[in-house]
Amino acid sequence: MLIDIQNLFKIYNEGKESEVRALNGVTLTIDRGEFVAIIGASGSGKSTLMNILGCLDIPTYGDYWLDGTDITDRTDRELAHLRNKEIGFIFQGYNLIPALSAYENVELPLIYQGVPAGKREERIMEALEKVSMADRWRHKPAEMSGGQQQRVAIARAIATHPPIIMADEPTGALDSKTGKHVLEILHELNREGSTVILITHDNGIAAAARRIVRISDGRIVADGTKEEVGL
Amino acid sequence: MNLTQAIKMAAKSIFSNKGRSALTMLGIIIGLAAVIVLVSYAQGQNMAMNAYYESMGTNIISVSAYSWGGGGQVDIGKKIHNYCLQLDGVAGITPNGYVYGDPTIKYESKTLSRNRGGGSFAVVSPGGMDGGYQVNEYPEIRMGNDYFGVCNGFTIARGREFSYLELENMSQVCVLGAATAEYLFGFTDPIDKTISINGRPFRVIGVYQSKGAKADLGNSEESQWMEESIRRQDRLVVLPYTMTRYFNNNESISDYVIKAKTSDDLKEITTALNGFLSTIINENNGYYYVDNPQAWQKQNNEANELQQRFLGGVAAISLLVGGIGIMNIMLVTVTERTREIGIRKAIGAERRSIITQFLIEAAMICGIGGIFGIIVGYLGTLIVGKLSFGTILIPSPEITVGAFVISVVLGIIFGMYPAIKASGLQPVEALRAD
Repeated sequence: MLIDIQNLFKIYNEGKESEVRALNGVTLTIDRGEFVAIIGASGSGKSTLMNILGCLDIPTYGDYWLDGTDITDRTDRELAHLRNKEIGFIFQGYNLIPALSAYENVELPLIYQGVPAGKREERIMEALEKVSMADRWRHKPAEMSGGQQQRVAIARAIATHPPIIMADEPTGALDSKTGKHVLEILHELNREGSTVILITHDNGIAAAARRIVRISDGRIVADGTKEEVGL
Repeated sequence: MNLTQAIKMAAKSIFSNKGRSALTMLGIIIGLAAVIVLVSYAQGQNMAMNAYYESMGTNIISVSAYSWGGGGQVDIGKKIHNYCLQLDGVAGITPNGYVYGDPTIKYESKTLSRNRGGGSFAVVSPGGMDGGYQVNEYPEIRMGNDYFGVCNGFTIARGREFSYLELENMSQVCVLGAATAEYLFGFTDPIDKTISINGRPFRVIGVYQSKGAKADLGNSEESQWMEESIRRQDRLVVLPYTMTRYFNNNESISDYVIKAKTSDDLKEITTALNGFLSTIINENNGYYYVDNPQAWQKQNNEANELQQRFLGGVAAISLLVGGIGIMNIMLVTVTERTREIGIRKAIGAERRSIITQFLIEAAMICGIGGIFGIIVGYLGTLIVGKLSFGTILIPSPEITVGAFVISVVLGIIFGMYPAIKASGLQPVEALRAD
């Protein structure tokens, strides 16, 4: 089991009047090689869930084993290593660093991983190749379209060959055609063995996933195929 | 993440924000340039003074002793001479007598005389090309022994010093200063020519090298005065000290100059001489005075160093303000780049990587600013040197390197807080920022 979450809570302002339970007892397991879509309305807690799954945030209560490692009491440094090695992030707003070229953006996670300079080029170009952006390696984010930027972001996410790809509304800022292309890339990565966790509020996009988890008010209300979830 | 990588990243971020980086550097540039110019200015002030002291020779002690009781004056001179000769650290001792009464000096058609007021005196010019300027100045006629040159910081350019027999026999020979020789002889060789002093013939046996020719201290009032003081030493005629019998009515010479081997010897000799003289002279039968110009030079240098520190301190405050400017901008940068920091953390940057990145950025801004500051400081020093001293003034390497190191260290110190602040951001929070 790749991801194992048991009875997870994320509570803001606990004990105060303004207490918010973004996650209210979530239990979820995801196996290697799955393609899971997490759906829910805005404010349902799906982003909080993704942040915790992605080790960007820590839960208030509950257990989280990632690839057999308990991550609830890891140090800052260990979390940084986990994010680097285990997870590739794809964000709605692409989140490329504007001052850096496509090549340099993809290079960043490899630098942080400590891959020596001589071995980076091959992996960067391989990742860019996979998203058909190899010929644009020199371009800065401002010189690329949204779809192209998102593809570079995907290349960055897969450059370190992480077992898990986490995509938070990856098509949210794209037109339907480019969005479809981006989704195809994610499915392709899944076929090649990556575990993909896709977070979306778009039922149409979620319907393409083999497994769909619906979340509402910080709880999982449905988990299964699109028929079982009722899409 | 290794250091070269971090430096590349920092360079990238500095150059992608050229305008802001330049403005940040401005504080460091001005601060550093101010430190360099002010300290160099203070050092420049000292330069003329030091050249003057150096021209008189190093490790010099001058002694004046006079006694009207007991053994008489001749004895005092002899006693000092004999006492000093048995001291270890003495390199040489010479009587330092003056001929009073302004005798007339002649060689063929050339005459030097104070009484007629017409004797104009050529001064050896620094390059010798413009023929020097004319000063209505009469030469100094001094009396010494074979150590006169050594003790007074002269080296023989041509010929030789007095010999023992010439001194003992009151031979009519002389050694000329460079300016005197040039005025009287022009381009002809003065050696073995005979000049007359008050009609009495003196054979020239040696000529000293010019001190003034090397002295280019600039054209400020003070350095001009110092330069003139050095040049005056070239207007010299030296006679055997025994000539005092003829020129000064047999009055004994009461001034001596002693050259010590080292500055440590200088101190010992000064102490020993004071002790010795106090045993033979007291306030009832005479006076004595032991002095070394280097003590004055030292005092002068110490005062100047104090001034350098003060000016440097004033300038350092502006450097500090520059450093605070760095901190300010780095804090703005952190806020502006919160999202970038979030992204970097999300893809695996450790706290340490973020701190390193921001620290190196601050240090690099300061370092680059420091280099520009040094350039501006050099230009400023050249201008100030030209305006204040009329000479080419260049900052000392110690000041330059020191100022550069300080600016980089300032960058690191003032970059610390913003860097720590940046690295402490939670990735989720940071990613939410716009």
